[in-house]
Amino acid sequence: MNLLLLLPALLLMGLVFVWPMLRYGWLSFHADSVLTGLNPVPNGGANWVRLLDDQRFWQDTLQTTRFAGVSVGLELLLALAIALLLDQRWRGRGMVRALALLPWALPTTMMALGWRWIFNTPYGPIERLTQMLGLGPLNLLSTPMWTWLVTVLADVWKTTPFIALLLLAGLQTIPEDLYSAFRLEGGRPVQALTSITLPLLMPYVLIALLFRGAQAFGVFDLIQVLTGGGPAGSTESVALYAYLNAMRFLDFGYSATAMLAGFLLLSLTMLILAMLLRLSGLIKPVQP
Amino acid sequence: MVVRRRLIAFGLGLLLLAGVVWGGQQQVQSVTILMPAPYADATATLVDRFNADHRGQIHLSVSRGPLETESISDLAISSLLLGSPPFDALLVDVTWLPKYVAAGWLEPLEPWFDAADEQELVAGARLGNRVNGSLYRWPLGADVGLLYWRTDLMADPPTTPDELAAVVSKLQLNGQAPQGFVWQGRQYEGLSCDFVEMLQAFGGSWFNAATGEPSLDSAAARQTATWMKSLINDGISPRAVTNYAESESLQAFKAGDAALMRNWPYAWAELQGDNSAVKGRIGVTTMVALPGETPAATLGSWGLSMLRDTPHPAATAEAIRYLTSQEAQRERFLNQGYTPTSQALFRDPELVERSAVLPQLEEALANAVPRPMSPLYAQMSDLLQRQLSGILTENLDPDAGMAQAQESTLTLFRSAGGSA
Repeated sequence: MNLLLLLPALLLMGLVFVWPMLRYGWLSFHADSVLTGLNPVPNGGANWVRLLDDQRFWQDTLQTTRFAGVSVGLELLLALAIALLLDQRWRGRGMVRALALLPWALPTTMMALGWRWIFNTPYGPIERLTQMLGLGPLNLLSTPMWTWLVTVLADVWKTTPFIALLLLAGLQTIPEDLYSAFRLEGGRPVQALTSITLPLLMPYVLIALLFRGAQAFGVFDLIQVLTGGGPAGSTESVALYAYLNAMRFLDFGYSATAMLAGFLLLSLTMLILAMLLRLSGLIKPVQP
Repeated sequence: MVVRRRLIAFGLGLLLLAGVVWGGQQQVQSVTILMPAPYADATATLVDRFNADHRGQIHLSVSRGPLETESISDLAISSLLLGSPPFDALLVDVTWLPKYVAAGWLEPLEPWFDAADEQELVAGARLGNRVNGSLYRWPLGADVGLLYWRTDLMADPPTTPDELAAVVSKLQLNGQAPQGFVWQGRQYEGLSCDFVEMLQAFGGSWFNAATGEPSLDSAAARQTATWMKSLINDGISPRAVTNYAESESLQAFKAGDAALMRNWPYAWAELQGDNSAVKGRIGVTTMVALPGETPAATLGSWGLSMLRDTPHPAATAEAIRYLTSQEAQRERFLNQGYTPTSQALFRDPELVERSAVLPQLEEALANAVPRPMSPLYAQMSDLLQRQLSGILTENLDPDAGMAQAQESTLTLFRSAGGSA
């Protein structure tokens, strides 16, 4: 009976998740490119051999991981501060809460286009400002380091509200009594933060980390619109590389291999992260 | 009674409407061509004239695609993969053609263009249009890599790698032309184009069409990479060249800071502008080559290809012919500076008067070398650029880098389904 009730959900999962993954796995052992007339032809493990040797894929993996790590880290810190602020009672809080969500509500492509114009050389406002200060053109979007920072900034700006919202929901589940009791015992506010708020908020932090980590690792639209992966491939993500293999190089077999490898690497990272967190005692196994 | 009459009238009206629609389809065939925006703009007046000439028969419209080469390729491929694209013809870059043909998207042009038409083209424009012996592309403009030199700094341009290094060192010692020889060393397609020219100059080739295998670990290829690295290490080219694309090279040369520049024909007009420090002091030739080797010029250029699914092949061919006619070429050259493709125009007095380098361009076009005509070209180029960039900017040994490029290319072929 239990299983029967689960069936619709399982079917849906199978249709939109398991089946495409299996299909990717199957395709990754086939050559499916213009050379085969866009038909799948078994090629042993040639795609995987190529992947191991493919500097571009590994560079992209490193870049994507670095992007995801730094953006999500910054987002967590900022979101925590924002959530704590929005949890306090003050005049106009409702309005600020609504406003704070605005970046999250904007479509990524539109805001990426906006950032691209803001950092444009020589017409964007940032370059105008630096030129007025006599710093000369910075060419922000043609220097790898700066361009990378711009992508991080754009991601942080857009998705911090999402984490802030999650954390705010978490803050509101912490009973007020705990704080009252703590104050009665003579605890200081900073101690309240470290011994009540943060530990009780931890499950929410982890959920945010998981959601955003996976999402940031799969970043595509932001990079595609903001930088196109450039300059010289320095901001290319794994998802963008897989897209290029399929849509520009017409190599669907290898595209599936790159996508699947990215997924496996991400799953592995998440698994290790979860195990480390459990070992450190930050989260406890769920009690049935 | 009234109802019946109305019914009859309605039926007659419907019949009439169908007739008009059917007749319209019979008469006016609409042809759509996708081009990058600058090309679309450059052909706008021609399109208007074509439509006036073909009123009631063919209506041609040109879709303004994205400006960037890669974006327009993405747009075209997305619609081709989905089937029934809204275009009848495409403007295709020379490096895309084998991929589009292998995917089965293009229609051969032989029924409409014959050997006599091809004979009228200048040598370089005849290349890069055929795949597996069939004609799939008709060139809209000619484009090859050139060596620009300063007529005020040297009597004759260098012809060998050693001469190049010698003349540049001497000028640099005198404090003239501190940037020496500028080219495209950034990790992008331009680096592959420069490499193809220099490789040919050392007697090598990227891809051996006879064996279907790359030859990037040949002695000539290793020598070429070593020479490119030495240009930077010996200061013949500034270290910044490893981040130069066409525009950066042009900027340095236009300011009078360089003695030699590798670039495309478009640079000529830029260098003759009033804001150019070297106006009237420029000559054009081909890339240097080892004594006994033929100098080479990498083939660029866009051309028109017909899509296999077009419902109006004859009308599309008519449009392609019109847009690439001698008259059209003349107009595009005089108004926008696009290099013509017809042999005859390179000696045309009116055109030569406008640009004195046309005869040299014709010479360079005679030495045009296409990049490998492989459906996997984009990936091959990426693998090569990566190694070359490593050789130029990091301490990667040229021999090791080229061996790696060879190995990675072979792996690519194996994974994509056999040899190219």
